[in-house]
Amino acid sequence: MDGIRIESLTKTYRAGQVRALDGVSLEIAPGEVFGIIGPNGAGKTTLLGCLLGFLRPDSGRVSIAGREPDDLVIRAVSGYLPERLTLDRWMTGLDFLAYHHALARLPAAGRAAEVEAALARVGLDPEAGHRSIRRYSRGMLQRLGLAQALLGRPRYVFLDEPASGVDPAGVVLFRRLLDEVRAGGTTVVLNSHQLDQVERVCDRVAFVKQGRIEALETLHAGAAMARVLRVRGPAGTIGEAVPRAALEQAAQRAGAELREVSPPLARFAVPDDAGAVRLVQALVAAGVPVAEVTPEEGRLERLFLEDGPPGGPA
Amino acid sequence: MNLTLVLATLRQRFTSPIRLVIMLLFGWMPMVPILMAPRTGFAALGDCYFLALALAAGMIGQDLSSGTLQLLLARPVTRAQYVFSRWGAVATGTFLLVVLQMSCAAFIMLVRGVPVPWDQAALHLGNSALLALGTAAVMALLSSLAAGLGDLGLLFTVFLSAQVLEKVGMFKSWEWLVRGAGELLRGLKPELDLAPFLHGGPIAWFAVVAYLSTVTLCLGLAVVVMNRRELSYASSGN
Repeated sequence: MDGIRIESLTKTYRAGQVRALDGVSLEIAPGEVFGIIGPNGAGKTTLLGCLLGFLRPDSGRVSIAGREPDDLVIRAVSGYLPERLTLDRWMTGLDFLAYHHALARLPAAGRAAEVEAALARVGLDPEAGHRSIRRYSRGMLQRLGLAQALLGRPRYVFLDEPASGVDPAGVVLFRRLLDEVRAGGTTVVLNSHQLDQVERVCDRVAFVKQGRIEALETLHAGAAMARVLRVRGPAGTIGEAVPRAALEQAAQRAGAELREVSPPLARFAVPDDAGAVRLVQALVAAGVPVAEVTPEEGRLERLFLEDGPPGGPA
Repeated sequence: MNLTLVLATLRQRFTSPIRLVIMLLFGWMPMVPILMAPRTGFAALGDCYFLALALAAGMIGQDLSSGTLQLLLARPVTRAQYVFSRWGAVATGTFLLVVLQMSCAAFIMLVRGVPVPWDQAALHLGNSALLALGTAAVMALLSSLAAGLGDLGLLFTVFLSAQVLEKVGMFKSWEWLVRGAGELLRGLKPELDLAPFLHGGPIAWFAVVAYLSTVTLCLGLAVVVMNRRELSYASSGN
């Protein structure tokens, strides 16, 4: 298998006092965009560290395409963007990319053209490429780091908080780049706190808490009831003049699910935007007076909230 | 050794303003005696120990403390390659500085009408190369143990401890302690005098073996330390 396999991974710190990972098992399919979310101190970065071969697990095994994560064959086809991005600040942007291009053992022949293209790919202009990295803003550094991670079209990309410090245009660009990378068949592991971003780009998400995988969610193909809508009617209507059964029937017709009725509000789960439109049409068609429809928090936010407030050891 | 890493290290070291000032200081100070008495020859230049230290300080530790090592080791580079490349770059850089220093000294001698002692030049160059390789190896080990510029602190601590032990040994007439402290001090500055080789004298095999074993031991230990090191901000500084 060309994917990533994690078997019963356990990792402790401080002579076993802090259990960062506790028997984590996962399989990430080739070409999958896989998200890791969870509260601070949940073990996400430790998991990524083990996937990159930076940390040695106490027990369990990580294999990428059947090899050890620190195997040079794997490293030659991998890209990594760390959370705390510290670049060699004495270099220019182009120097930095050329340096990593060479370290990645990519052919020297087209190096200059490739690093310029990589710079343009993340929306940095050629002038910025000739500027010293110490003069880069936080967002520019993050873009440069992303360009570095995507050099040579890697087969595996590990991104730790890739959109942190990036402006909204950069976030959109980041999503577009991830779509491109996905289309190219690259396996992506994304560790992020930005749940809306994770929800938009990932195929599957693991919710990590206290070193364990608490939930595995499929977000794309086949994902059901991804969003929740709150429908409010005038006083005395929803849940009173309009009984629960009528709301359930309307929801059924729209392919939605009635979650809760609390006059004058009702909560419905819908699969996507089109499902939301169908629900509103079905409610209006059923004669339900709809005064306001508001989307609730995203699916992953719900996962966070249902599993309790973020916390745990730092 | 990885040529990309060697070249990047050299560029990094030679573009740091602070290092440049220090290297200029250590590199040009020995020119004063040459300017005043050019007949003293290359011996007046002294050794390149402090030049090597100026180039070597933080050679691995600064990558550890800044976090750049993670990004670097995510590439197809083994940790042994990394250590050897840093060592090679520092030794090469020091050697280039010595060549530059000697060229300037030779120029001064020629301008002042003093014949350049080429045999002395060859000896100085050879001894400097060996000292550069030795000092870079010691610093590679110390730098793998301490983040930032902690290698200089370690070097100073070991040096001071060895001095104290030597004095205690002398005071108490403990020969073994004096000898042990002396070996420790020599270990901090691995050098080998090539004069006997050039002048056809007997080869001091003990000195050769001591030099080679110090260099290989330091490099070997540096690789072991780096291989055992875990890289993550989640690992509480491990």
